[in-house]
Amino acid sequence: MNSSRINNILAIILIPLFLIAIYLVFYYAPVEQILGFSQKIFYFHVPLAWNGLLGFTIVFVASIAYLRTQKKIYDIVAHSAAEIGIIFTTLVLITGPIWAKPAWGTWWTWDVRLTTTLVLWLLYVGYFMLANSVEEEGKRGRFSAVYGVIAFIDVPLVFFSIRWWNSIHPVIFNTPSSGGMQLDPQMKVAFFFSLFVFTVLFAVLMTLRIKLGKAEEDLIQLKEGS
Amino acid sequence: MYSLIEKDIISQLRTKEMISAMFIFILLVFVILNFGFFDVLQVIKADKKVAGSIGGLLWVALTFAAVLGLNRTFVSEKDEGVMDGLLLAPFDRSLIYWSKFFSNIIFLGVVQIISLPIFVLFFVSEGFLAELGLLILTIVLGDLGIVAVGTLLSAISVNTKARDLMLPILFFPVIIPLLIGVVKLSGFVFALNADPQKVSLWLQFLILYDIIFLIVPFLVFDFIVED
Repeated sequence: MNSSRINNILAIILIPLFLIAIYLVFYYAPVEQILGFSQKIFYFHVPLAWNGLLGFTIVFVASIAYLRTQKKIYDIVAHSAAEIGIIFTTLVLITGPIWAKPAWGTWWTWDVRLTTTLVLWLLYVGYFMLANSVEEEGKRGRFSAVYGVIAFIDVPLVFFSIRWWNSIHPVIFNTPSSGGMQLDPQMKVAFFFSLFVFTVLFAVLMTLRIKLGKAEEDLIQLKEGS
Repeated sequence: MYSLIEKDIISQLRTKEMISAMFIFILLVFVILNFGFFDVLQVIKADKKVAGSIGGLLWVALTFAAVLGLNRTFVSEKDEGVMDGLLLAPFDRSLIYWSKFFSNIIFLGVVQIISLPIFVLFFVSEGFLAELGLLILTIVLGDLGIVAVGTLLSAISVNTKARDLMLPILFFPVIIPLLIGVVKLSGFVFALNADPQKVSLWLQFLILYDIIFLIVPFLVFDFIVED
């Protein structure tokens, strides 16, 4: 069985998987006592965030691999991971405020994780724009790989600087959920199942995007050949 | 390498285009900041507790001006074909980076020496001289990071279609942690509230940032200029 077939099957399996995830989140897991129904968004928000980070980590690893070997495939992998990471992180930035409004009483706070996520998003949008702004093949790969490395190194620096900045300021918003949110076993089942489903979604999207990248590459080769 | 820096300085002395543009730009930002934050500035003058916010104004002006100058770093090399000559020359390619790094530091430093007194005149009420040493140290550490990252990224952006549009988009997110540090430290200076423990935490952070982004170009600059 070839890989595209496996991918097609996975993509089809995703439909029932998502339905089960929705069932677990909305019917199986109990409603959180303090936050109420709004807490449900966490089952989507957190898996998206983790997979977004997974995407950016893949960008970093593939960028280093590209710089070392100059093999086109790593360039394609890095770009695919960046695109999907941006989409997931965009959804994180949208679902976050939807939850923050009922829970914290405000759409946005300059809290550590929120601000870091926003900067992360800006870094990789920059990466994406850079990749689309260079015409020559080899240069595009090298430039975006260099930026992919710089962006990833920058993320922990962003996180700690914002954390230290905030620690000196008074805490304005009380967050009952920050720190150890006590997860009930049924909530855990729903959460980890949702995480699993989103990770499968990430893998399917990655495989499709890499295939597309390879096809583009082949097309360019064919055009040059003729 | 000295001759490369010398070349940049001589051409700068002849045209003065980069330094004068950066300086005038900073003055314009000061004027705009004054009107943009008019009420806030009145409060800041009256209340020492919030005087630290002026540090933010200073760095808005300095970093925007820095981007303006950094954008030009490799433009003449690229447009007049100097880069091809430099790449053929029998020396390590990272020297191209380091010579540009030092000329940018010098240009930015000159602009800051002229514009900082004007900033003080416009926005700072009194007494900050007590912490002048810390302010200068902050600006030096800030400049090292800004120029280290900016020179590297401008070598990339000069090769893109969008050119000057690309640098700020790539540059600002990367220097956000550095900006957080320098704004914090300048805040301590202008609020006359330098707790040694906090100051040393932020100084260490800036030094760490500078070291990281002075090592990165060593590792990656060859990939950028490779042809």
